[in-house]
Amino acid sequence: MRLLIFPLLILILPTLLEKQDEEYPKLKDNDSVGKLLYQLGDDPGWYVEDDDKKSSAAKGRDIFHTGFVQKNNKNKGRKQSKHFVCTSCHNVQREDSDLTVSDPQARLEYTMKNDLPFLQGTTLYGAVSRRTFYNGDYSLKYGDLVDDARNDLRGAIQLCAIECAQGRELKDWEIESVLKYLWTIDLKVRDLSLTNTEKVNLEAQMDDNPEAAIATIQSKYLTGSPATFVKPDKERERYNRKVTDINNGENIFLRSCMHCHENGRYSFFHLDTCKVTMKYLQRKATTYGDHSIYQAVRFGIYSTSGRKSYMPQYPIEKMSEEQLLDLRGYIDYMADR
Amino acid sequence: MIKYFSILTFTLVLLTLQHGLVAQESTAVQTFKDTRVINTQSVETLKKRHVDFRVGHRFGDLAGSNGGWSTFYGLENSTDVSIGFDFGLTDNTMLGLHRMKGSNVLRQLVNLSIKQKLMTQDAEGGKPFGLAVFGLASISTMPSSPNPGVLSHFDVFAHRMSYHMQVILSKKIGDRFSLQIHPAWTYRNLVPDFDTNDIVSIGYAAKAQLNRNIAVIVEGNLPFSELRTNENGYYSGFSLGIEWDTGGGHIFQVNLTNATGMTETDYIPYTQEDWSQGQFRLGFTIGRQFKV
Repeated sequence: MRLLIFPLLILILPTLLEKQDEEYPKLKDNDSVGKLLYQLGDDPGWYVEDDDKKSSAAKGRDIFHTGFVQKNNKNKGRKQSKHFVCTSCHNVQREDSDLTVSDPQARLEYTMKNDLPFLQGTTLYGAVSRRTFYNGDYSLKYGDLVDDARNDLRGAIQLCAIECAQGRELKDWEIESVLKYLWTIDLKVRDLSLTNTEKVNLEAQMDDNPEAAIATIQSKYLTGSPATFVKPDKERERYNRKVTDINNGENIFLRSCMHCHENGRYSFFHLDTCKVTMKYLQRKATTYGDHSIYQAVRFGIYSTSGRKSYMPQYPIEKMSEEQLLDLRGYIDYMADR
Repeated sequence: MIKYFSILTFTLVLLTLQHGLVAQESTAVQTFKDTRVINTQSVETLKKRHVDFRVGHRFGDLAGSNGGWSTFYGLENSTDVSIGFDFGLTDNTMLGLHRMKGSNVLRQLVNLSIKQKLMTQDAEGGKPFGLAVFGLASISTMPSSPNPGVLSHFDVFAHRMSYHMQVILSKKIGDRFSLQIHPAWTYRNLVPDFDTNDIVSIGYAAKAQLNRNIAVIVEGNLPFSELRTNENGYYSGFSLGIEWDTGGGHIFQVNLTNATGMTETDYIPYTQEDWSQGQFRLGFTIGRQFKV
């Protein structure tokens, strides 16, 4: 009899383990964080399923990347903006190694490692899981317009379309389409970098205390991107070129400046790495005009009558003062080589 | 000559296709800042959905018997005026519609043009030069002359037409220097008895970038035509100028040229002005780009 029990156990054990797997884990790596929060009761008001009716994630993707719906679509419509598309200023991939802090140097290193642009706007990967938009000093830039956007993703999309992209107002189905697309690029559970213990604890919280589970999940990433606008450094002559990191500056130039200015991608002001270009930027650096890197980075280039396209400024969280000096160091190095 | 020109064009297209098959991601080089050097087309095209509004003007002879103080050095005369648009259909295809005053036999011209960039020089050296083809159809809208003995007497509409095609090969050397040659074929439907409808020519252009905004540009063309000799009163066109890129999609250019016309079907067959006799003129071109 004993001889029979042991083989029987061996046969039954996988079945028992399988049953255990069915119950745990509840959290799967590819699960959408936003959807998980919604299921736990945290409804921000912009949860939508992609039902592929008049609006769809596929259409949203087209609008997002090209400004209008592609191919044979009767709703193709006018291009949303002739100046920009969403990816002019925003990545659609994760861009931070640690989602709980906004560290521009860590972000630069992450973008280098993953070959991404280094941009003024926060990545829209995970936007649907955030709770506030146009944070901090964006109210100084856009004033009351921020009111409808700060706590509402639909409002944020519309503000971005009209003000940031300097384009036309999005129609309702276009906003819904963009929203559905944003849900496809939401944060995933694996992005939260949960340890096994944390995962088990979180699963338990999900059953016992959903509010605590929501708080736990949201503690693993920033629910809003901080934005602090600073004035350009006035001590431009006193910078010490020797302490700048030229490689860092090169990466900022290539991943940030060239993203828009290379061969007229989004700007008529062409940039390249030629010596004549670098000499020009070097000469302008200490001035107070639009073509000074200090002015352009910290104030941006404002749209004017007859020239609606502009350059958004970098909050300190998107480019640090040290990085700006590194950029200048690179320009000086390239100009004097 | 036309046969050789066709073979050259065919070979270049084949070379381009060959390069296209092994195309890799690379850094494109901007050889010229504008889509034109002075009068001639450069290898560059507009970006997709960009419109370039262009105005050009060529004054009268600066010196010589028709210039000097009596015409305030040519500024009181105009030999040609151009106004029109170019449009970037794609990043590599550009369409043009221009109205020209015209400076020679055929006037009041409407020019339709297309330029296709076939290859862009890259910084890595995988594509060592740029290549484009340009085609132009020019229609004279002037009233037909009642005198049957002149070229502006148009028996049929086709007599109003002239055509031009050129292959543009360019090379940027270092950060500052750009060169271009452009073998070309010009065809006029109606010509005098002693002339030929076809003219094969070769053009050249160069740019020296002094700083980011200012460049010195030169261009010229050499028509291969037995008629077009100095003895017969014809001279090859030669122009030089200063190009100013203001940095916001705005190009301003001042030039000196012995060509009176601004379009290829005009200045290649009809340039009869001699630099050495002061028969050159001041001109300017303004280009302003917009996105649509």
